[in-house]
Amino acid sequence: MDYEVLKLVWWVLIGVLLVGFAVTDGFDMGVGALLRIIGRTDTERRVMLNTIGPHWDGNQVWFITAGGAIFAAWPVVYAVAFSGFYWAMLLVLFAMFFRPVGFEYRAKVDDPRWRSLWDWGLTIGGAVPALVFGVAFGNLILGVPFSLDEFMRSTYTGSFWALLNPFGLVAGLVSLGMLMMHGGTWLQMRTDGALHERARRITVALAVLVAALFALAGVWIWMGIDGYVIMDIKSTAAAVTPLDKVVTTQEGAWLSNYGQHPWMMIAPLLGFAGLALTVLMSMMNRGVMAFVSSSLAITGIILTAGFSLFPFIMPSSLEPSHSLTVWDVVSSEMTLNIMFWVAMVFVPIVLSYTIWGYYKMWGRLTNQFIEDNKYSTY
Amino acid sequence: MISESMVDLSRLQFAMTALYHFLFVPLTLGLSFILAIMESAYVMTGKQVYQDMVKFWGKLFGINFALGVTTGLTMEFQFGTNWAYYSHYVGDIFGAPLAIEGLMAFFLESTFIGLFFFGWDRLTRIQHMIVTWLVALGSNLSALWILIANGWMQNPVGAEFNYNTMRMEMTSFVEVLFNPVAQVKFVHTVSAGYVTGAMFVLGISSYYLLKKRDLPFARRSFAIASSFGLAAILSVILLGDESGYEIGDVQKTKLAAIEAEWETHPAPAAFTLFGLPNEETMETDYAIRIPWVLGLIATRSTDEQVVGIKDLLVEHEERVRNGMGAYDLFTQLKAGDESPATMAAFDEVKDDLGYGLLLKKYTPDVIDATEDQIKSAARDTIPGVAPMFFTFRIMVAIGFTMFLLVALAFWHSARQTIDKQTWLQKALLWAIPLPFLACEMGWFVAEYGRQPWSIGEVLPTHLSTSTRSVEELWMSIAGFVLFYTALLVAEVYLMFKFARLGPSALHTGRYHFEKEASHSMTGGTTAGPKAQPLQARNEQA
Amino acid sequence: MWYFAWILGVLLACSFGLINAMWLEFYEDMDRDAE
Ligand code: HDD
Ligand code: HEM
Ligand code: HEM
Repeated sequence: MDYEVLKLVWWVLIGVLLVGFAVTDGFDMGVGALLRIIGRTDTERRVMLNTIGPHWDGNQVWFITAGGAIFAAWPVVYAVAFSGFYWAMLLVLFAMFFRPVGFEYRAKVDDPRWRSLWDWGLTIGGAVPALVFGVAFGNLILGVPFSLDEFMRSTYTGSFWALLNPFGLVAGLVSLGMLMMHGGTWLQMRTDGALHERARRITVALAVLVAALFALAGVWIWMGIDGYVIMDIKSTAAAVTPLDKVVTTQEGAWLSNYGQHPWMMIAPLLGFAGLALTVLMSMMNRGVMAFVSSSLAITGIILTAGFSLFPFIMPSSLEPSHSLTVWDVVSSEMTLNIMFWVAMVFVPIVLSYTIWGYYKMWGRLTNQFIEDNKYSTY
Repeated sequence: MISESMVDLSRLQFAMTALYHFLFVPLTLGLSFILAIMESAYVMTGKQVYQDMVKFWGKLFGINFALGVTTGLTMEFQFGTNWAYYSHYVGDIFGAPLAIEGLMAFFLESTFIGLFFFGWDRLTRIQHMIVTWLVALGSNLSALWILIANGWMQNPVGAEFNYNTMRMEMTSFVEVLFNPVAQVKFVHTVSAGYVTGAMFVLGISSYYLLKKRDLPFARRSFAIASSFGLAAILSVILLGDESGYEIGDVQKTKLAAIEAEWETHPAPAAFTLFGLPNEETMETDYAIRIPWVLGLIATRSTDEQVVGIKDLLVEHEERVRNGMGAYDLFTQLKAGDESPATMAAFDEVKDDLGYGLLLKKYTPDVIDATEDQIKSAARDTIPGVAPMFFTFRIMVAIGFTMFLLVALAFWHSARQTIDKQTWLQKALLWAIPLPFLACEMGWFVAEYGRQPWSIGEVLPTHLSTSTRSVEELWMSIAGFVLFYTALLVAEVYLMFKFARLGPSALHTGRYHFEKEASHSMTGGTTAGPKAQPLQARNEQA
Repeated sequence: MWYFAWILGVLLACSFGLINAMWLEFYEDMDRDAE
């Protein structure tokens, strides 16, 4: 493979990791966010937590690995985005602190205040990261105020509060809504009785809401947000830095990819179709199908964001020409090559034992089961 | 502009969060293997008590593991948030092991830990045992990859500076992988983890022995921990010595600081057992020296010298001057003069570019540095001697103390005279903090001794940070302190609660507190140890 | 080759722990009451 192809391959691989994260860790964040909404009693909440008990940690590794892969394959993005979005990153981090301890410690003390404390923690740990990721994506589409100097040191001039602009918030709500919906479909598969019914109803409501917000974001991008275009770049095949190109902003540029490559329309279509199917399957009480549909919807929505931005990853509103793109943020050819083969070997292995794990733990959990095993479950 | 205090605060935050992460890591590394041994014993003998051991120590493992994961998340993201320039400068090499760690180790460890806790009724005995072994393997592989990354920071092999992309780029993955520093670091660190696990189990088992509770359970736990621990402490000491030899080879400054070797003495050098290093006079007051020993440890020979700090200073000053030349050529290359002559000249001196960058702390242009500034930069290359000297000695002293304790524990366990050794039981109980302390000291030696470099002789720490403000750093540090303190309180509370309860926490009805309860319920007459209260039957259902 | 040494060493240390436990299991009475 030559360098140019490798660069594209890594765009795909990071995409796969992000989608993998949203589809797996997404549902347990969703369950966390729904915990206090549809879990009425302590036992019901324990049922919810125990459906994800054996899996949340493995799922979370999608997130960690996505971070590691960005570090290895797109070191410039890792450096600029993580330090620029300092407070957003720390907010996600602090919120995620509640998850491992929440799961592990909640049931270890039989005291309503203790448990309610961790319930709040798990709610925050599920909802806040979901919201912030969406806000971050929204801001990528708007452009982010950073610049680079000749030594490639980045300076970010925005503040945390500036991230919370109307469009960013809409994107955040799309993200939060879709992960909660995803959590709802998971609970449809793994619980029964009253909890199952509530999960069905909330899934339907959330899917409709997400569809509306997703459409709103689309119209917003179409009517009101300027996209970025590369006017001139030294090379896409060689090793270049973000300083080696010229970029301008242009009305409607974020939609130009769909004009040039109509097949890309598949992403937003998948998003809407997935959402519609989620509603349908939930109403028909087909939990597994609802989960599959919601996974497709998530994939479609994330791909839509990726396709719209491509080849940009992090446009700079301050110095458009310093924008980060797939061509100029990558590691050396050697590193990309090595990491590609590592991914080819390990991703299938990981997938196979993950699937084995789900297979072994499959089945609906009931209130009775929790009552019977109250010392050995979450 | 990056202020000095901003750099110091970033270091403080990193040191805090890393040392905190490493409070939980060693126990995970060691206890996971001890659990695997216990479960293998269960599979081999079929005795219920071994399964109870896995479940009970597994509970404590889980309490610790949760915080290991929580604090590990911080580590993964802190390079980007707080060390952005570092991440850009070396991400090409450094990011790879981190990503591989996720793919190869974290997935393994985290997926199977779920099955470990929840899979008891869903897996066959053999399957569950394999799951436990895989958890242990996963956590150790994670140590492997992160220490390859860390070893590379200490000794950056297999990489080269590229002035076009302004960063280090990988030239040989194999060299990075088989970096000798990474190798000894890995074995020393994981062995330290095994010791920690063993000391933990020994200490808590001793508590039950002291209280005369659940003796069969405690004796067996004690036996396994003492034998595994004995092997581990021997290898920690052996490999610690090997670490010393390795840094004598590649990190001479660190070695000189650890040993407070101000002068280069004729070979073989003496080992300073104790003394008070004095940075002002560059002498060690009240030194107690053992002839020959340092030379033997550091060079494995009687005729090679151990270079002293004063000579290293001279050498480094020379390299700073070379570095100025390298920086000059580098700016010419950047400005577009890519003639073969300039490139060849740059290749000649680029190994000293890092030393030139040290001057950036004093003058942004580097090439106009004054004599004084050059001297200061050279002086910066020597980490604080006294802190290195003492922390290292604390680690080693703890090492030998633990060796003694574990050897005695093994002896009495093998002879089955342990029940009577109350003083040893007490000592082991009080020794639980020792391995944790030694680990923290070890990291201090390794990391503080690396200063002023974040990447040895390549990238100075003061250039590595993100561009953030001092106020922001204070705020995030406050956030970490707040969260970490609260989490630690919860962790320690649960640890104590469950360690005190002992295997009764499993609610099987087979152990001390529940036997007591059922005694009193039935008037203490008929219900013997075999009687199973309700919960036990439920659990089997 | 310290990595290789580690593989052997861990296996050795674990077997040592296991064998010691088995040995005590079969030659000593681990279930005796307090002395
Ligand atoms: C010698 C071993 C060692 C060292 C030096 C480090 N870690 Fe660690 N880490 C582990 C050994 C470990 C472990 C034993 O695998 C942990 C500890 C407890 C646990 O749950 O897994 C872990 C957990 C852990 C997790 C959570 C994994 C999960 O969800 O399962 C992350 C993201 C990191 N670490 C990342 C880091 C980073 C970025 C480090 C460097 C700065 C670092 N660790 C130092
Ligand atoms: C978990 C075990 C670790 C502990 C306890 C630890 C400890 C420390 C300490 C005490 C410092 C502060 C040194 C100083 O500023 O004076 C430090 C700095 C640092 N360490 Fe480590 N370290 C650990 C693992 C690692 C690993 C595995 C890496 C890299 C993969 C790493 C990278 C760094 C970096 C980037 C800094 C900040 C820059 C600097 O001050 O040099 N550390 N660490
Ligand atoms: C008794 C003899 C010991 C010796 C001679 C020894 C030697 C060393 C040396 C030279 C280093 C620095 C390596 C470097 O800077 O690259 C180190 C680091 C370290 N030591 Fe020890 N040590 C001993 C005991 C212990 C004990 C008992 C523990 C914990 C249980 C421990 C835990 C560590 C850790 C966690 C590190 C940091 C990681 C590393 O750099 O390998 N050491 N040790």
